[in-house]
Amino acid sequence: MGRPLLQRSPMPGLGLSMGITLTMLSIVVLLPIGALLLRGASFGLGNMWEVVNRPRVWSALFLSFRLSLLAAVFNLVFGVLLAWVLVRYRFPGRRILDAAVDLPFALPTAVAGIALTALYAPNGAFGSLAREVGVKIAYTQWGILIALIFVGLPFVARTVQPVIEEIEREVEEASATLGASRFYTLRHVILPMLAPAALTGFALALARAVGEYGSVIFIAGNIPLLTEIAPLLIVIQLEEFNYDGAAAIGIAMLLISFAMLLAINLIQIWSRRRIGHV
Amino acid sequence: MQIEIDEISKQFGMTAALHPVSLTIPSGALVALLGPSGSGKTTLLRILGGLEFPTSGRVLFDGQDATGLTVQERRAGFVFQSYALFRHMTVFENIAYGLKARPRATRPPKAEIARRVGKLLDLIQLPEIGARYPTQLSGGQRQRVALARALAIEPRMLLLDEPFGALDAKVRKELRQGLRDIHDETGLTTVFVTHDQDEAMELADLVVVMSGSSTGGRIEQIGKPADIRARPASAFVRDFISA
Amino acid sequence: MFDAGVKLPVPAKAPRFRPATQESPAVRWLLIGIAVLGLAVLVVAPLAAVFTEALAKGWAAAVTSLTHKDARDAIRLTLLITAIAVPLNAVFGIAAAWFITKFDFRGKAFLITLIDLPFSVSPVVAGLCLVLLFGANTALGGWLVAQGYPIIFALPGIALATMFVTFPFVARELIPVMIEQGRVEEEAALTLGASGWRIFWTVTLPNIRWALLYGVLLCNARAMGEFGAVAVVSGKIRGQTATMPITIEMMYNEYLSVAAFSLAAVLTALALVTLLLKTALEIRHADALAATHRH
Repeated sequence: MGRPLLQRSPMPGLGLSMGITLTMLSIVVLLPIGALLLRGASFGLGNMWEVVNRPRVWSALFLSFRLSLLAAVFNLVFGVLLAWVLVRYRFPGRRILDAAVDLPFALPTAVAGIALTALYAPNGAFGSLAREVGVKIAYTQWGILIALIFVGLPFVARTVQPVIEEIEREVEEASATLGASRFYTLRHVILPMLAPAALTGFALALARAVGEYGSVIFIAGNIPLLTEIAPLLIVIQLEEFNYDGAAAIGIAMLLISFAMLLAINLIQIWSRRRIGHV
Repeated sequence: MQIEIDEISKQFGMTAALHPVSLTIPSGALVALLGPSGSGKTTLLRILGGLEFPTSGRVLFDGQDATGLTVQERRAGFVFQSYALFRHMTVFENIAYGLKARPRATRPPKAEIARRVGKLLDLIQLPEIGARYPTQLSGGQRQRVALARALAIEPRMLLLDEPFGALDAKVRKELRQGLRDIHDETGLTTVFVTHDQDEAMELADLVVVMSGSSTGGRIEQIGKPADIRARPASAFVRDFISA
Repeated sequence: MFDAGVKLPVPAKAPRFRPATQESPAVRWLLIGIAVLGLAVLVVAPLAAVFTEALAKGWAAAVTSLTHKDARDAIRLTLLITAIAVPLNAVFGIAAAWFITKFDFRGKAFLITLIDLPFSVSPVVAGLCLVLLFGANTALGGWLVAQGYPIIFALPGIALATMFVTFPFVARELIPVMIEQGRVEEEAALTLGASGWRIFWTVTLPNIRWALLYGVLLCNARAMGEFGAVAVVSGKIRGQTATMPITIEMMYNEYLSVAAFSLAAVLTALALVTLLLKTALEIRHADALAATHRH
């Protein structure tokens, strides 16, 4: 702990770069978040609990978290598969497939929202198919799930891809010379090597989905207790000028986000300990 | 087990890696494939292990055609140059891997696996390190763990690719003797690849000197170390062993 | 025993040899099939839906809806917001990356976590934070309104919301690249007597330009399309605070499907251009980007 706060360095631009960094960080991020926490503090823990501890709020938080978890699990499996196919196999159209993975990052959420709704509405291309087998997708929890899968799709694939690229061929060959079938090698050698990156991607997809708004509200139907997501509750409170209520729910969501951020960091520390790198 | 290499050649796309070569390795011998880089010695070793398929020619184990056998079916204990230990497994799990990977019918019970791993750890003279991860080992220890892991499957032969390549000079000398001891104890037909003529001459019963060319690697001379020293078959061999 | 060049090589049996590091062709094609089908249904279908819905009543209707005043105002506002938020975030990203990679100080990891924070905060919560700081009924916001500078339900609020959600993009792209490149070149320039700005323009910037462009590209795509955070602070005043995504929402809710999807198609086209540029950067300048983008 004897380390000085700042090591002396001949490099120029310390004052300027530090000044810009801290000033902008404060104005854009820290002060606004501070304002939220301050509002919560002046509103009081008890009052905040009263706001959150209502069936409608619990139901929305629980719905957001549960569907986000389901979507992230789907993306965990599909993302690892995608990463494997994109890194290991050569086939026509691979580059296009690779670029398509990023589309959910690039496409504005509101656009994704209305496009998914158009597809899965009862008269849409997929919605009418589903209706024939008696399933309603848009304006139900299925619709929310599909929207959340869409926005979280790239995370696992993109964190796992570089790890697959770095697997030494000799490790897989060693497994084969020891008599292991290809499936056994995938299950016991490859997957454990991918696990830390895949879990990081999973947590990122989960965090994104819990806070997602734009792509969900169009397809959700927004029926209280059934298809109302947590971020929408904040918007509703704000429209009623109930800033304290909005702050209470906002802080609850912030806590969930921080818990997940912590989880991501713990996963990375754990994997660094175990295999000596991330 | 006796290994016969019958007119094996290998091409990678347009490049020739091995000119057709033939070689008989007597059962129980300790053989060095010696040559500079590009002489096809590693390719030949990988063909023996089933990791590479020859463009033409046959491999025979005890007189039986083994060319079409898969890697898994060959049961060749293979030690890689980088050792290729499984980083996310302990030393114990690394050595036990080949036994655990067997189909249920032939898989030994847990206690038996533990006993065998213990015996192998004794054999490589590292009885205490079973619980460690590969990143916590020195280079020499890693090499010996890789060797124990290869021996765990009760291989029919032992194939080693530059087993001492990644080690410093002092550890190299120690481990040479270690390999000799393990070979003598197990009696396994053992083939190792090296570019270091001292290593080959000191350790092997039989040395295969290989050279590279645009038409692929070829065998220059096969013989006991003393014979090669006394009677190099070509200018290449004479230059290479005196280098 | 030596090679006999005249002998015909014995052709090897089992020509369908499979390397130990490959799956069987059946498994391979099954996995490729799942990947292609999955992406087609999940990603490509919505993309196609945007354009088919926009053109549901023909090209003329789509183009006409884009020339409507609401649409034109929305496009102008979005371009203006992007022109404010992206350069500011680029400046921040460069400054933060310089500060973090050129100097050693305590709390560096914590600073990086703070910079990454906006990625883990819901956009709606981000908007809420801004409302609670700058809203007309707060101390600071009330004072600013009295001075004639409203933030919330006005352009500065939208710009701030956009900056919040896109805040980490450039810094995140530059930091790993600049760590990898180290300080040696700058130190060399320093010993040759170059000034700080000269070092930045002639040594650092050429080294990071592709990574910078990559970060700006991602930042730009997200800035044009941001919806949740902007929805909270915009007030949705037509012609004044309705950005493209907000206008899309308003049109969609008024059942102006063609108009909504036509405007959405413009944003989608921009997203596709972004992807194209991004892929081109990944292919042509892979070694100048952060390692995670090289594939």
